[in-house]
Amino acid sequence: MSSQTVLYQPKISEVLRNINKVIIGKDEEALLSIVALLAKGHVLLEDVPGVGKTMLVRTLAKSLDCDFKRIQFTPDLLPSDVTGVSIYNPKTLEFEFRSGPILGNIVLADEINRTSPKTQSSLLEGMEETSITVEGEAVPLKKPFFVMATQNPIEYEGTYPLPEAQLDRFLLKLKMGYPSAKQEMEMLNRTSRTHPIHEVQAVLSREELVALQDKVEEVYVDSTVTRYIVDLVRGTRNDEGVYLGVSPRGSIALMKAAKAYAFIRDRDYVLPDDIKYLAPFVLSHRMILTSEAKFEGSSAEDIIAGVLSKLSVPVQRNVSE
Amino acid sequence: MNLTSDRYQSFYQITIYLCGFLLFMEWLMPLDVIGEFNNISIFYIYAAFCFFISFIQINWMISVPLKLVGLLFILDGLFIGERIFSSGWFTIVYDQILYNIQVIQSQQWWEMTPMFRSLLFLILLWLMSYLLFYWFIIAKRMLVFVVLTILYVTVVDTFTVYDGKWAIIRTFILAMVSLGLAHFYKEMEKESISVKSLKFTYRWVVPLVGMVILSSVLGFASPKLTPQWPDPVPYLTSANPGAGSGDGPGNGPVQKVGYGENDSRLGGGFIQDDTPVFRAMSQDEQYWRVESKDAYTGKGWEDTLDDETSDVTSQDLEFSTFTDDVETEERISFLDFTGEADFNKLIYPYGVGSISRFSQDEFSENLSFQLHDNTGEIDTFESGDPVQLEEYVVDYNMPSFEYSQLREADEEDPEEIVEQYTQLPDNLPNRVVNLGSQIVEGEDNRYDRAKAVEAYFAANDFEYETEDVEVPEGNEDYVDQFLFETQLGYCDNFSTSMVVLLRSQDIPARWVKGFTGGELTQETASVEDQNLNVYEVTSGNAHSWVEVYFPEVGWVPFEPTQGFANNADFYTEVEQSDDGETSAEQDSETEDTEENNNENPNQAQQQEEAESDQAAAGAGDDNNWTPIWITSALLIFLAAILFFVRHRLMAAYLRRQIRKKPGRDTFERAYIFLLKVFEKRKMKRHANQTLRDFANQVDARYQSSDMRQLTYHYERMLYRNEQGLEQMSKVTELWENLIKKALS
Repeated sequence: MSSQTVLYQPKISEVLRNINKVIIGKDEEALLSIVALLAKGHVLLEDVPGVGKTMLVRTLAKSLDCDFKRIQFTPDLLPSDVTGVSIYNPKTLEFEFRSGPILGNIVLADEINRTSPKTQSSLLEGMEETSITVEGEAVPLKKPFFVMATQNPIEYEGTYPLPEAQLDRFLLKLKMGYPSAKQEMEMLNRTSRTHPIHEVQAVLSREELVALQDKVEEVYVDSTVTRYIVDLVRGTRNDEGVYLGVSPRGSIALMKAAKAYAFIRDRDYVLPDDIKYLAPFVLSHRMILTSEAKFEGSSAEDIIAGVLSKLSVPVQRNVSE
Repeated sequence: MNLTSDRYQSFYQITIYLCGFLLFMEWLMPLDVIGEFNNISIFYIYAAFCFFISFIQINWMISVPLKLVGLLFILDGLFIGERIFSSGWFTIVYDQILYNIQVIQSQQWWEMTPMFRSLLFLILLWLMSYLLFYWFIIAKRMLVFVVLTILYVTVVDTFTVYDGKWAIIRTFILAMVSLGLAHFYKEMEKESISVKSLKFTYRWVVPLVGMVILSSVLGFASPKLTPQWPDPVPYLTSANPGAGSGDGPGNGPVQKVGYGENDSRLGGGFIQDDTPVFRAMSQDEQYWRVESKDAYTGKGWEDTLDDETSDVTSQDLEFSTFTDDVETEERISFLDFTGEADFNKLIYPYGVGSISRFSQDEFSENLSFQLHDNTGEIDTFESGDPVQLEEYVVDYNMPSFEYSQLREADEEDPEEIVEQYTQLPDNLPNRVVNLGSQIVEGEDNRYDRAKAVEAYFAANDFEYETEDVEVPEGNEDYVDQFLFETQLGYCDNFSTSMVVLLRSQDIPARWVKGFTGGELTQETASVEDQNLNVYEVTSGNAHSWVEVYFPEVGWVPFEPTQGFANNADFYTEVEQSDDGETSAEQDSETEDTEENNNENPNQAQQQEEAESDQAAAGAGDDNNWTPIWITSALLIFLAAILFFVRHRLMAAYLRRQIRKKPGRDTFERAYIFLLKVFEKRKMKRHANQTLRDFANQVDARYQSSDMRQLTYHYERMLYRNEQGLEQMSKVTELWENLIKKALS
């Protein structure tokens, strides 16, 4: 894919260029983050600390002229630290609602697995609904609302891993990975004086972003392609290495992501190629492998690749009907 | 798992190889019938032995001597009386070797001794065992051998006396089983499925066996077409007296030939048959009439007239082919039937009046005669059952036809005569009609026209031939074939052609069957102060000729067949004749034909008609097969060419379609076809590969971007559900470029 000259939607192209100034060699992750953003979904970044997770989110937020909030999850964090709290104002003799970090446009939930499930769920509720409930009152979330949660897969001590049902809330799960030696050298060169993040200018207004999000919904998905999605998802359910397959929510997620991806690629229709490309990111965190499969060392990505290799790509009309 | 896998493997191999062996046995079995083998079972055993040795795959150092010993053992048992490896034994073997080497050097293959031939045959068995092992077990390719076996069995069944009915069923079953198993095995290998249990195998084997049984039973029980071409076996057996039971006509596999009832399909050669039918005592040689037929079908003759029959008495048979205006002469003939013939019809000369018994006794009261009014067939019955009269005397009035009467007869034929005796099949080729008018052109009366047609055959070098005579195939017309293609035939060809040519000129004529006068024997008989000649009439004298209708005269016989003379009497009335030349001319003409007849006495003896269709076609000469072979070869060749250029043809077709009817359907078909062609060119799109991915692969190979561009448009059509394609001309161009590349 990368060998080919890829066309991007012009606005998105600018955002990507912006991110590329700050983060080196993370084009794909940046692109996928925008996919999730445009599809009104959220991203779970899973990797060791220090590989640029936070930087990616911050750059993205800055390029988009969006309100950026960050929550550092710690074991003693309370739900109200996320959602906000009403404080008594002695001057006005009234309780005033001080909004928490969840009421930002782009929220970085750092090390989400370090906090208690109670606090986790306060964030996750907001991710699925368009509002949160604070002290019995529904508080609407901002538009756009985009959560990037990170978690460290290495240190499990004292963590509260997210249950499958909650992982499902994330549209995509990404891994950052280490940069190559060349990329790392380039990185050192760039950060030697001032950090490039300070030079990032917003290239996309909040309104423009919401408009793009609406446009994504108009992307056409042919029945041949939906059939392909369904076949793929059903394939994961029937695979013998899978204990729990991808839920219908996963099919929807895959379609939404594909629409956004197609849009970014400056297309108004989805290709099977989009599905194939996105499947591991959208589906891998939505299934539970059998212990045998895990023991044999296969990952969810392997299973998805296996299902894809057995699945025929629709190349003719009416075949799938 | 390995254990079951091995067990499975050996089960498979044993079954397949057994099938191979049994198929090979099908090759040997006919040899028992058609060859000169006295001890075929020994060869079976040796073949089994060789197959077994090949199968257990022992080192050649052991297997070769083993097979050699077996070979010597058999040769010793069959041909050498001496104790094995004794000095006498060696002497015999040495002599044999010396002799056969000489024979081979002088290339006199037929001189080889039976022992040497057996040796060669045993070596062949040996080689076959190895070859089949290779084919079946190692290469796992048995289709060729299976097809060859089926061909072999059918050929042997067709051309020899061997009956391959069961052999073909056995071959079929063996073929299905072995092919089914081999396919199973290949699938297993291809998909690298391991056999977890033999239970799995049964899932394949049981339906396979079921299918084989079902299809064999269905094939066996279902109705089959009768052979589409004549069975050549009778001809081959008769040509090879050693092969069949050739102990005389009528007894062997050769069909009895002679006077036949069924003339619906004429043609084909026949074999001579001199079985006597009757002896006739009469003053002159004359034709013996039995019946006539009216409808020509294009292949032969049918009797379509309503079978109007009338009971007649022996005193008055009430049948006459000519009118009272014809001059007649009273004659008498005695017919004496030999025991062998079985002929329940009267055989009579022209002008028959009554019949009586040779002795003074009357015919039995139970004897009745039934006359078919139109054909002249007179059946004899005794108490209602068909019976053959052993002897009888015929009183008859021999007609003499007067030339001027025939020439000057008016041509106003009764309507029923015209309707019945000028009918021709609708599909009679025009050239026959044209030839007819060409022949009679310039003749101003019916008699001369008939004479012209009669003389046409002699004038144009038509040849008399009994063996190498073709049967018209398919839509071919019997007469057309004879007149324009073969110009070679016997009485049926000549007489039928004459009738058809006459009818094409609206001259009523009919086809008559009976016997020629037979062979004059040395005996004479003196009956009632007449000295009568004795003629012997055999099956071989069965004959057919022509009768032409003349108003006021009746039916007048004509003889178009080469080498035969018309026995009917014609004369010129001197008073009425202005020109004496006619008479003289006519006389000399008669002499000529008689001479001609005498020149070919043997040939004349061969006149006969085949008893049945089968025998009629019994000659099965090679010429009959040539068109079949040529046609099939051409068809196969054509099919092969079509097969090789099928993609080009399809591409050309789609190119036209895409230009003529640009649209989604055509585009889709064209694109899918392109994928198929790429697949044939070793660029297969895997099912899980997206079009875009594949397009990149193709373009990388051709160093272009055509496929990506074309795919872009296809994707829009397919995944974007685009109805109209704006850039159809561009798409067409891209597609044409690609298909050109793919096909080059």
